[in-house]
Amino acid sequence: MKNVITTRNLVKTFEEGRVKALNGVNLEVFEGGFIAIMGPSGSGKSTLLNMIGGLDRPTSGEVVVDGVDLCKVKNLDDFRAKKVGFVFQLHNLIPVLTACENVQIPMFELKLSGKERCKRAEKLLKLVGLEHRKDFVPTKLSGGERQRVAIARALANEPKIILADEPTGTLDSVSGDQIVHILQRLNKDGRPIVLVTHDEEIAEHANIIYHMKDGKILESNP
Amino acid sequence: MRFPALIFKNMLRRKTRSAFTVLGISIGIATIIALGAVMSGMTANMEGMLKSGKADLVVAEKGVADMVYSRINDSRIGEIEVLEGVRKAAGVVFSICPVENNPFFLVWGVKNEDLPMVGMDIVNGSAFSQEDELIIGKTASKELDKKVGDKLILSGKEFRITGIFETGVPFQDKGVALPLKKLQEIMKHEGYVMMIYVELEEGADIEGVCQLIEERHPDLVTIKSASELGKVDKGLEIMDAASWAVSLLAILIGGIGVTNTMMMSIYERTREIGVLRALGWRRNRILSMILGESVLLCLFSVPIGLLLGVFGVKLLMLHPMIKGFLEPMYTLDVFAKAFIVAFAVGIIGGFYPAYRACKLPPSEALRYE
Repeated sequence: MKNVITTRNLVKTFEEGRVKALNGVNLEVFEGGFIAIMGPSGSGKSTLLNMIGGLDRPTSGEVVVDGVDLCKVKNLDDFRAKKVGFVFQLHNLIPVLTACENVQIPMFELKLSGKERCKRAEKLLKLVGLEHRKDFVPTKLSGGERQRVAIARALANEPKIILADEPTGTLDSVSGDQIVHILQRLNKDGRPIVLVTHDEEIAEHANIIYHMKDGKILESNP
Repeated sequence: MRFPALIFKNMLRRKTRSAFTVLGISIGIATIIALGAVMSGMTANMEGMLKSGKADLVVAEKGVADMVYSRINDSRIGEIEVLEGVRKAAGVVFSICPVENNPFFLVWGVKNEDLPMVGMDIVNGSAFSQEDELIIGKTASKELDKKVGDKLILSGKEFRITGIFETGVPFQDKGVALPLKKLQEIMKHEGYVMMIYVELEEGADIEGVCQLIEERHPDLVTIKSASELGKVDKGLEIMDAASWAVSLLAILIGGIGVTNTMMMSIYERTREIGVLRALGWRRNRILSMILGESVLLCLFSVPIGLLLGVFGVKLLMLHPMIKGFLEPMYTLDVFAKAFIVAFAVGIIGGFYPAYRACKLPPSEALRYE
C-alpha cells in the first residue's frame, strides 16, 4: 500500500532549543489509513499535526505528504489549500456568515465562480447532514452542528488527507459520536485521517492508535 | 458568496465600534468638504471679480502680500489705456466698511462710466452721479431690505441709493459701489487705485499686452485668471495651505482611529486568522481582507462626512459676519479630494494591522487564546 504520510526522525524545538516538542518522530500513514494519536497535554500531538499539515516547519527531519517533501516546499499555503483538510477543537466559524458561506471560505483560493462555490458547499453540507441548516449562522447551530460545518469546510477543496485536532473535545458524547462517524465515512471513501484526541472511546474508531509522550511516539495499538 | 461580501460582513461584526470609527473619519472628511467648499467659493469669487464685465485682465501693484495693499497712482490708468491693444482701462478701489449693523461690508469705488467695465449692470434705477449717492448689489438690497431712493449709512456718512446692480458674482452682489473719488476720500487713498481693469481691443494678444504692461511698468503685475492671483494675493494660498493642514490633522486623527480599530479586530480574530491560514489562505488574501475592511470603513465615512460638512458650512453661513463673504461651492474636485483621502486613509491606516495579520505564523495564531 502507498504511503500518504511519512515522517522521518522529526524534531521540533522551541525557545532556541530549550523546549523539544518533537524528538525524533517516525510515522507512516498508508492510503485509506485512519490513525489516532493520544497522549497527555504537551506530549507533541498537535505539533506533529502542524508539521504534517504544513502549518509549521520541523527543526530537523523529514515530512512527506502525498509525495511532497514539505521541507523543500518554499510556500506551504498552496499545499495546505489543496492537500490538507483541518478540523480543530474550536470550530472557529465566522460568526456573521451562514453555514453555507463558512464552507465556501477555503474555496476562495480555487478558481471557482460564486455559483460553483455555493453548489459545492451545499453538497458538502448534505454530506454532513446539514443541508437544511445551510442558511443558519453559527450562533443558531448546536455545538455538534458547528463542528459538522467545520468538517464540511475542511473538505471544501477536496483535500488528500484530513487532520483533526481534538474535533470532539468540546462536544457531548452524542455529538462526538456523530463527528467520528462522519470521519469514518470519509475514511471509507478513501481519505486518510489523522485524529488527535484525549478520548480513548473516540480513538478506538481508528485503525491504529499511537501514544505520544515527551515528543516521542511510544507504541502503537493496531 | 464573493470575497467583497465577506469583507462587508466582517465589518458588520462589531457594529458599534465600526460606527464610531466611521464617525471619527467622517469628521475628517467633513472638514475636507467644508474647507474645500469654502476655498472653492472664495476662489470662484476672486475669479468672478477678476473676470467680471468687459475686463480681460487686471493690473495690481507687484509684490504686495494682499490685493488690499495694492496702491497704483491714478496717472497709470491713462498710461495703460494708450498702450497698443488696450481699448479701455478703469481704476477701482475696494474696502470693507461698516454698513448699518453689518461691520463687514464690501464697498467698491468705481467711476460712473466704468461701471459696465467692472460688470456692474444696473437692473433697477440708475447709476450714481453725485458724491452722496451709491448703487447697491442685488443680494445686499434684499438682505438689508433697501430699495432705490432709500438711505444707507456707510462709515457714518449718509448715502442715497440710486440703483441696484447685479454682477453674477455673489461676493460683489453682496456689496455696494460708490463714486471712486468718494471712496478714495473715505479710505484716505486719494490719487491712488488698487486695481486697474483692462479691456483689450478685439483680436489683441493678451499675453503680448500683459508683457507690454509689465515692461513699461515694472512695479505692476498683470493677472489674467484666479490661478495667477498668488502674484498679489497670498491670502488664498495661505488659506489653502491652512485648510490642507487642518484637513491632514483631521485625517491623521481619523487614520489613527482606523489603525486602532483594525488592530483590535486583528487581536480578537487571531485564532480565526490562524484557521484561515490553515485552510490554505495565502498571506495576500489575509492582507486584502484586512485592508478591504479598513478601506470600506473609510469609504462609508464619505457620505456621512459629506452630510456633516454641508451641515457644518450651513451653520457657519448663519453667522452674519461670514454670510456676506463666503459662498461655498461644492465642486466635483472637493468630493473627489474627500473620496481619495478616505481611500488613502483606509490603505494607510489599515496597512500595519493587515501586515501584522498576514505575517502571523499560522501555528502560533492557532495557539492564541
